[in-house]
Amino acid sequence: MTISIWRFSHLTLAISATLFITVASLTGIILAFEPISNKINPYNVVDTQTISIAEAIAALQNEYEETITINIDENDFVIANIITKEGKSETIYINPKTGKKVGDLIEKSPLFEFATNLHRSLFLKTTGRFIIGFVSFLLFLISITGTILIVKRQGGFKKIFSKVVKEDFNQYYHIILGKWFLIPIAIITLTGIYLSLEKFSLLPKNKAIHEEITQNSPSSKLKPTEFEIFKTTKLSDITALEFPFSSDEEDYFNITTVNKEFAVHQFNGTIITQKKQGLVSLGSYYSLILHTGKGSIIWSLVLLLSCFAILFFIISGFSMTLKRRKSKTNINNKFTKDKAEFIVLVGSETGSTFNFANAFYNALLKIDKKVFITTLNEYTTYKEAKNIIIFTATYGDGDAPINANKFIEISKKIKQQNILKFAVVGFGSKAYPEFCKFAILAHANLQIHEKFIPTLPIYKIDNQSFESFKIWVKQWSFNNQLVLNIHEEDIKKTSKENIDFKVLEKTNQNVDDTFLLKIKPSKKVKFVSGDLLSISLKNENKNRLYSVAKIDKTILLSIKKHEFGVCSTYLNNLQLNENLSAHIQENKQFHFPKKATEGILIANGTGIAPFLGMIKKNKKKKIHLFWGGKTKESIKIYTDLINIALENKSLSTFKSVFSQEQQEKIYVQYILKNHAKLVVDVLKNGNVIMICGSIAMQKGVESELEKIVNTHLNTSLTEFINRGQIKTDCY
Amino acid sequence: MKTKRTLLLLPVVLLMITALFSFKKYTESSPYKCMIQMKNYTGEGAYIVISILNPKGEYEETLYVQGDDDEWYFDITEWWNFQGKKRANIDAITGATISGGERSISVIQIPKDKVNQGYKIRFETAVEDQGYHKDDVEFELTSENLKSKLEGKGFIRYIRMIPQ
Repeated sequence: MTISIWRFSHLTLAISATLFITVASLTGIILAFEPISNKINPYNVVDTQTISIAEAIAALQNEYEETITINIDENDFVIANIITKEGKSETIYINPKTGKKVGDLIEKSPLFEFATNLHRSLFLKTTGRFIIGFVSFLLFLISITGTILIVKRQGGFKKIFSKVVKEDFNQYYHIILGKWFLIPIAIITLTGIYLSLEKFSLLPKNKAIHEEITQNSPSSKLKPTEFEIFKTTKLSDITALEFPFSSDEEDYFNITTVNKEFAVHQFNGTIITQKKQGLVSLGSYYSLILHTGKGSIIWSLVLLLSCFAILFFIISGFSMTLKRRKSKTNINNKFTKDKAEFIVLVGSETGSTFNFANAFYNALLKIDKKVFITTLNEYTTYKEAKNIIIFTATYGDGDAPINANKFIEISKKIKQQNILKFAVVGFGSKAYPEFCKFAILAHANLQIHEKFIPTLPIYKIDNQSFESFKIWVKQWSFNNQLVLNIHEEDIKKTSKENIDFKVLEKTNQNVDDTFLLKIKPSKKVKFVSGDLLSISLKNENKNRLYSVAKIDKTILLSIKKHEFGVCSTYLNNLQLNENLSAHIQENKQFHFPKKATEGILIANGTGIAPFLGMIKKNKKKKIHLFWGGKTKESIKIYTDLINIALENKSLSTFKSVFSQEQQEKIYVQYILKNHAKLVVDVLKNGNVIMICGSIAMQKGVESELEKIVNTHLNTSLTEFINRGQIKTDCY
Repeated sequence: MKTKRTLLLLPVVLLMITALFSFKKYTESSPYKCMIQMKNYTGEGAYIVISILNPKGEYEETLYVQGDDDEWYFDITEWWNFQGKKRANIDAITGATISGGERSISVIQIPKDKVNQGYKIRFETAVEDQGYHKDDVEFELTSENLKSKLEGKGFIRYIRMIPQ
C-alpha cells in the first residue's frame, strides 16, 4: 500500500484522538508516581519469601483476638484485617514475623484520586469510560500505523532499528522515540483496552469453578499452625488468605494465589477444593499490573516516560504536519496546461523541493516564458509544451514521494502529441543509500519513452545545496539558450545577514600559493570547527564557502590563491585590521562528534583547516591526522600549530605525504593501507573518520577505506557512511 | 494562677467525657462478625451500606459503609437521601469495596437495645452502571436472625452474622 494511506490514517487517528490522548497522558504522568510513592513506603519489613503462612498465623494469633484476612500486595506489603483484643476491627500493615502493626493503610491521595477519575472516565462515568477505552484503541492503531511509516521510511522491517538520518529535530525524535516506545505504548494501549472491555463486561465469562479434591476429611484436629500446607507455603507465594468465618466445619480457609484458589479444611489442613483462575482473570490481573505499574518502580518509570513520549508525539507530529502544509505552497498557475511551453513537474515529500521548483518557475515567468507547474501525479497531456522539467525528492528506500507515486505508471499510458525535451533534477541526501533513486527511475522511464528527448543527464542535489542547484540552472539555461536569474533568497526566505570580520593575521603565500588568514568576528557568533564561512562579493552572485577552524574564538582559514580566482585574490589582498563581510553557515554534518573518543582526520591541501581547529580544541580524544601536500615546503605554514599539538598531545599521530618530492606521485590515500588496523579499530569502536579536501582525494580515500573495511570487517563502507562514522566535506 | 489550674483540669475533664462515652457505647452495643458474599457479577466493586431501620421503617443508624470514595455515595439513593441531609461521621465504619464473587468480613456494632424490638437491618447495594438494590438483604433484628445465613436479592449472594 502507498505511504499516503498510512500517513493519512496516522494523522486522522491522531487528530481525532488528540484531546483525549493528551488528557490521558497528562494524568498518566501524575498516576505513574502513585505506585512509586507507595512502593517507597517502609512497610516491607520482612522478606515474604522467608516466612511461611504458619509462622505468620502464629504471630497474628499472639497479637490479636482474631484475624479475618491476610493480603500480600504488589509491593510485598503484608496487610491484615484483624480484630484487636479490645474488640476493634482494623486493617493495617503488619510485620508478619511479629504480627505487630507497622503502619496504617495508605490512603489514596486526593490528587491521585482526581487523576484516576479523570484518566479512567473523564468524570463522565459510563460515557467517559467508553471514550477512554475507544481512545486506547485509537492510540493502539496510531502506534501500528506509525510503525508502518517507520518501516517504509527505513526501507524494510529488518532495517527498522538501523540508524535514522537526522534531517529535522521534530521528525528525527518522532521516529527515534517511536522506535523506543513502540512496545511500552502497545502494552499500555492493549492493557487499557482489556481493562475497558472488562468494565463493560465484554470479556468472555470466567467459567472456572472449584473442583473437589478430597471428600471425606479425616477427623483429626490440628491447629492451623500445624497444617502441612501452611508450613510449606511462603507468604510470597500467595496474594490473600481468608480465615474461616466461623468454627463451623463447612467454613474453610481460602488461599488465593495469582493463578489458583484453594479451600483448606479448618481442622486438618487438607485441600478441599481448588480452582484454577481462568485466562480472562489472569489477563485482568496482568493488565492491571502492566497498565498501572503497581509494585514496580522501574516499570512505573517506563510508563511515565511513555506518557511524556506520547505528548512529544502529539506536539512534534502536529508541527511536522503544519510545516508540510505550509511548504506545500499553493500553485497559482498563470497559464493553463495546454498553453504553456514549459511544464514543471514536482515530487515533494516535505515541501522543500517545491521551493526550488517554484524559484525556477518564477524565473521562467520573469523572462516571459509560458510555464505551468504541478505535481508529478497530475501529469497529463500538454498541447503546446516543448519542455518538461522534473524536480523530485525520494522517500525512504527509493520510493516516490507522496505526490509523485503514480507518475511512472501514468507516464506510460498518456500519449503526448509533441516530442518533448526533458530534464530531471533529483533532491536527496547522500546519507541515504538510495540517494535520488526515484529521480533516477523517473529519468530512465522518460528516456525509454519515444516522445521524450533528454536535454541534460540526470542531476542530483545533496542536502538542498543551492550551489549545485545554481550549476544545474546554468547548464539548463545554456542548453535552452535562456538567461535565468535565481538567487538563494528566492528559495529560502530567511536571508542571512553578513557580519564584519577583522583581519588579525595573514601569512605570506607559500610555494603552493596557499596562505593562512586569521579573522575575528565583530559580533558574538556561535560556530565550531567544520562550519563554513560564506563570502559573497559584490557583483558576484556566487558565494564561496571556506571550512573554518575555530581557534580561541577566532577563525583560521587556509586559502589557496587561484590565479584568476576573484574571491581568493580579494582575500589575499586584505590588509591587517581590514574588515571582511561574510556569514557563518552551520555545517552540522562535519562537526567532530562529541561522543567520539578517537578520530582519523584525512586532508589534502587547504582541507587541513577545519582539522587544525578540531585538534586545537581537543583535550582527551585521540586524534590522528593524515595530510597530503605537494612538497615539503607546502607544510611549513602549518608546522607551528602541528608541533604544539603533538607536544601537548592534543594530536596523537601526524603522517604527511608529499606528492612531488619523489619520482612517482604519492597521495595521502596511499598510506592508509599501512594503518589498516587503526582504521578498523576506529570504525569498530563507533568512532569517526573525517575527510576534507579535493573530491579526487575523497574518492581515493574512500576506495582505500572500502578495501580495508571489506577485508577486515567483512562489510561495506556504506554502512559506516550511513551511521555517520565517515564524514566528508570535499569540493 | 487560676487559669493554669483550669488548663490542668481540662484534659482530665476531656478524659472523663471520653471514658464515659466509650463506656456507654460498650454497654449498649455488641460486636457481630458479618460476612458478605457477593454474586459473580463483573464490573466495578459494589458500594454497600448497612443501616438499622426503626419500626416505622425510618433510618435510625448507619452501621457500616463499604466503599471509601464518597463521589459514588449518591448511587445508594435511599440512604443518601437520608444521609445527605444529616451527614454523620462514617469514617470509622468505612471499608474498601469488593467485587463480584468476593466476600468481605467486617465487624459491626449492633446496639443491644434494638435487638428483638421491631427494628430491621438493611443492606443496600449499588454497582456503578449496573444498578441499585434498596433492600438487597433486609431482615428483622432478632437474636435468631443474627445467627443465621440470609440470601440476598441483588448483588449479594448471602450474608452471615455471628456474635463476637
